[in-house]
Amino acid sequence: MANDIIDVQQLSFAYDHHEVLKALTTSFPAGSVALLTGPSGCGKSTLLRLIAGLLPKYGGHLTNGRINFPAGKPTIGMLFQDPLMQFALDTPRHELEFVLENERVPHEQIAARVTAALHFCKITDLADRQLTTLSGGQQQRVALAVTIARQAKVLLLDEPFASIDEESRHFLIGQLQQLVVNQGITILIADHDCHGYQKLHPLVYQFQAGTVARQSAATSAQLLAAADERAKQPLRAARPAASAPTVFQLTAVRIKRGERQLLSLPQLALFRDKITLVTGANGSGKSTFFQALAKLIPYQGQIDFAGHDIQQIKNRRYRADLGLVFQHADDQFINVTVAEELALSKRNGRHPYFQTSLPAALELLGLTGLDERVVYSLSGGQRKKLQLLLMLMMGQPVLLLDEPFAGLDRQSLQNVYQLIKTAQAAKPQTMLIISHQLAAIDQLIDFHLHLSGHQLRYEEDYHES
Amino acid sequence: MNPSFKLILALVISLEITFTNHLGGNLIIIAAALTYLIIKRVAWKKLCRLLLITLIPAAALFMTIGYFSPERDLFFAWVLVSRLYCYVSVGAAVTLTTNKLSLIRSLEQNCHLPSKFAYGFLAALNLIPRIKQNVITIRVAGQMRGVTLHWWSPTLYFKAILSAIAWSDQLAQAMETHGFKEGAPRSAAQVIEVDKRDWLTMLLILLIIQIVIIALP
Repeated sequence: MANDIIDVQQLSFAYDHHEVLKALTTSFPAGSVALLTGPSGCGKSTLLRLIAGLLPKYGGHLTNGRINFPAGKPTIGMLFQDPLMQFALDTPRHELEFVLENERVPHEQIAARVTAALHFCKITDLADRQLTTLSGGQQQRVALAVTIARQAKVLLLDEPFASIDEESRHFLIGQLQQLVVNQGITILIADHDCHGYQKLHPLVYQFQAGTVARQSAATSAQLLAAADERAKQPLRAARPAASAPTVFQLTAVRIKRGERQLLSLPQLALFRDKITLVTGANGSGKSTFFQALAKLIPYQGQIDFAGHDIQQIKNRRYRADLGLVFQHADDQFINVTVAEELALSKRNGRHPYFQTSLPAALELLGLTGLDERVVYSLSGGQRKKLQLLLMLMMGQPVLLLDEPFAGLDRQSLQNVYQLIKTAQAAKPQTMLIISHQLAAIDQLIDFHLHLSGHQLRYEEDYHES
Repeated sequence: MNPSFKLILALVISLEITFTNHLGGNLIIIAAALTYLIIKRVAWKKLCRLLLITLIPAAALFMTIGYFSPERDLFFAWVLVSRLYCYVSVGAAVTLTTNKLSLIRSLEQNCHLPSKFAYGFLAALNLIPRIKQNVITIRVAGQMRGVTLHWWSPTLYFKAILSAIAWSDQLAQAMETHGFKEGAPRSAAQVIEVDKRDWLTMLLILLIIQIVIIALP
């Protein structure tokens, strides 16, 4: 078509000998919004990275086909799934200045454009904070500000909301809408979760095994409406009985981040052998709460685990009783190949279910036949699933899971829920789960703790929006 | 003073005292550097800690040269100790009074250091806190899988190096998506100028140093 800004012809792309894209042909009209969706590992991220020019430069082989820019190559901006790994400098202001210097913006205009970009993303007050101290949602706002400052004509977003709360998601989608309407920017979003996109009126590009089918406007609208409907379901959880056996007892716990009071918990009980969901806005302190429970950061007050102050328990013993599933899957891995990782968890793990039924679990998670693969070469979704499996196999009485479902598609999510339930039936564990991914999660959880205003409270009926 | 000039001056001074044995000269340089640090209001605590930590190698050096070398040369021992303190105080006078971003920008603009090195170096510096955190995380990850990783465990270093490689790759991609092109011309958010005063100050200080080291007895 005449007004296509990106035109993909017969594109085939492979990592090692694993073909990710297979003769993919499609096009993206200028000034439109495209929502690329499909299960994890289907090639949607790969296509974005190819368009951005990062691939094959940084890995893989282009075996066939090409990407054309009929109207000349536009300035392309990109937001990555892992928000922090996209900055080279220390503060938002310095990063924006760096970006404008790269674009050779004259010295006199730089300050004004930095200010405008910060203002558009409502992060003026964060301009001089260290990027490492910002929450994931705030970092994504900075990443968006970077593309605004560069005046990118094409925006590529790779699962940008995977670990972001609803509020930040709403805000960012609203700003994207302004960019499309006011400036005619073309936006390509890869996301397995299609909810909340209706106001952008995107065309849905359905990925399936390395190829893509562009849906009509009407079908797209239907798919989006259905996704919104699913997300609207209220989250139901039980209220814990006062007499229920507890595993953690927190008394007068206060946690600070820098000078700022983050959490203030006069009294809190966590219940034995139950699954408790922990929700709350980005940067509200959910991960910090886990770090305190895991004895990784200092806090005031007292945390008792099974009747003992955790400060009195030796680290090695404590970590045999408490496992932490990190937000970043890569942090969890100790070995190189999938087989080595599985062998380690099998040797040291104490979970009875996996001693006998590991092959079934691998099958369920779609991780069969990956034994010789280097763990770091797996797709994002595969790494998350492997990470979770490795920690479930360990069978600690307490498991803290920080965003274990981020970036998983609906089918994977169902399978992961099922695995946790099966494991829980074979050997009850106390699980605390931080998740922004709330779809159908009430089938999994017993209780729901919500963090707001520095406090954690048990909720029964909870509406996200 | 221009950050690059400050750095060059410190290097020249350090080089010069390496090849001279002038106790008085060294003491004057130390005094001057400390005075500069105090004028620039560097925190006392930081300064004291720096001087105290240097005391350990300084004492070792003094004992070895002064009492255990064949010549037992006490004068030379003092020269070496003062030289060590010279390096530390002159180094501190540069690093504790210069913002690292300004230094990088100055090196890029005034000394025409390729921007690839300048920003690569800066990005690596910004990664240091993450590397520290990463080592803690790796050890915890090990403990939770029933593996104790001591500081001498190869796995710890293997993982740390692996993370560093992954980060460097991601960083390169991040810089590229933020419009950075190797060797391409860039503009400057903060123009760092070299004026007459910078030249005069540097030449004057160099002159004084020559007088102190060569002319003084």
